[in-house]
Amino acid sequence: MDFATGIVASLLVVTVALVGLIALRPGLTAARGGKVLAFFSFFVLPGTAFWGGFQLHMEHSKSTRFCMSCHVMEPYGKSLLIDDSNYVPAAHFQNRRVDRDHACFTCHTNYTLFGDYKAKIGGLRHVWVYYVGDIPKKIELYEPYKNRECLHCHDGARNFVEAHEEDLPTLRSNETSCLDCHDQFHPVDKLATLPAWKGATLP
Amino acid sequence: MSATETAPNVERTAPNVERRLRVAGVLLILGLLIEGATLFALDRPVGFLTFAGLGGALLVVGIVYYLWSIVP
Repeated sequence: MDFATGIVASLLVVTVALVGLIALRPGLTAARGGKVLAFFSFFVLPGTAFWGGFQLHMEHSKSTRFCMSCHVMEPYGKSLLIDDSNYVPAAHFQNRRVDRDHACFTCHTNYTLFGDYKAKIGGLRHVWVYYVGDIPKKIELYEPYKNRECLHCHDGARNFVEAHEEDLPTLRSNETSCLDCHDQFHPVDKLATLPAWKGATLP
Repeated sequence: MSATETAPNVERTAPNVERRLRVAGVLLILGLLIEGATLFALDRPVGFLTFAGLGGALLVVGIVYYLWSIVP
């Protein structure tokens, strides 16, 4: 159990104990001190515990392990281990251009004010489809991949700027897609035929 | 002698308020226990959904019921 989880767990335990005390002896709230204690136990502490737990779940939902917990995503995870640097996700994962523990989320989120929350709301739909609906044979993005998600890290990097000097204006304005040239991604349908990075595993 | 003169000098909560506090307490404890259980499933979408959907709903209902119970 990491530190943050321990803090939230401790908060939950304290809150349960105080709520239990008030619920078992509601007469305590007759006095002013009891009223204050009840307000903290029934309102402030549960709210704080929920907020802390929510932040904890949000952080864990960005992890590669979280995405890989759905079987549908397994081939996409395996594609990160293809031993061929022409495949963009594999090259990013293997060369630590993205944090391996947050590999999916780093590229598949919108770098906007509510990008994280938008991704999680989309995730609700994914869970529904996973358990109740029909999982499509070919998984596609909701909208064309925006350069913004690449430029969030690459723009300003010397090797990127020098190599893309002529295309920079159209890349920044999204008129030219990064994917026009870098067009090898997750070849889930031919994984068996491609070489894999030996001994490597996903987080 | 009036009733107020014979009453003991101790503040008491009304029985219906006590009952509402107990109900709110049970709802909150259930919600908190569910939230605690989901800490063992942090890396699974079902854990997140249970936390926000079930645990969160019980907490909200419990808090609202508590606030309603203290309104005179």
